[in-house]
Amino acid sequence: MNDEEKEKKLLSALAVSRPEAFWARQRAAIRAAAGPARRPRAWLLLPAAGLAALLVAVLAERTRRPSAPEPQAVSLAFIEHMDMLADMDVLEAVPEGKL
Amino acid sequence: MAEEKAEKAAGAPGIDPDTAFGLLVEEHQRRVYAAAYRLTGNAAAAEDITQETFIAAWRHLKSFRGESSLKTWLLRIAANKSRSYWRWKKLRTWVGLDQRDADGEGPALQEMLPDDPAGRPEQAALAADLERRVQAAISALPPRQREVAALRAQELSVAEIAAILGMAEGTVKAHWFEARRRLEAALGEYL
Repeated sequence: MNDEEKEKKLLSALAVSRPEAFWARQRAAIRAAAGPARRPRAWLLLPAAGLAALLVAVLAERTRRPSAPEPQAVSLAFIEHMDMLADMDVLEAVPEGKL
Repeated sequence: MAEEKAEKAAGAPGIDPDTAFGLLVEEHQRRVYAAAYRLTGNAAAAEDITQETFIAAWRHLKSFRGESSLKTWLLRIAANKSRSYWRWKKLRTWVGLDQRDADGEGPALQEMLPDDPAGRPEQAALAADLERRVQAAISALPPRQREVAALRAQELSVAEIAAILGMAEGTVKAHWFEARRRLEAALGEYL
């Protein structure tokens, strides 16, 4: 037996043989599995559409709401405290004997 | 010829997608399943890989540039999925989750029954025995040799195998030479 024939024999031993029923069943399984992916059904999109509508409504509501007044950076108490400190500066500037 | 039919059908704008997909599967399923089975040694995994290969190919058919044939493109997808199977299996073994799945490894005996009813049980038993020995011999090969042998068994040329596995043709030849030597030694009585 020459080298080519030996290789052919080995390759035929490596081949995978199954009856026709096996291939038919596999074809049906592949087509069934591929079916929904190839044709997305409208009802599958319903939850996504509902979520999108909800998101739009929430965003619209947020833009409609009046903006809250900006928080005051410096409180009234702090300003009064500053005035007291100014008085302290005046008192400290007066020599001790004159008090 | 039939392959051309499937290839043309897959790309033809007027053809019903179901028909085109059916032709694609019918034309290539044997080759894709056989390669996946030889690469994984697991009948259940080979069925999953075959299914996933066709679904992935159908979804990405637009990205198929036609630089290779549909056959080599499908087998490249199947080979990549088989590599993923081994990575996943290794990971599961590493974390201690992998259990020996003896049921999924070999095909069920009824799947080995020949179409011709004459002498069916005996033939099926012989076929199952040969199948086990061949698979054991292939599984004993190092990964790259196993890949080359599994694809060579699908009647692919050295150039096609090189394109699928991303190897130089010389490397494919070297792997095939070594794989063949080992397989002939292991299966000598059947050759």
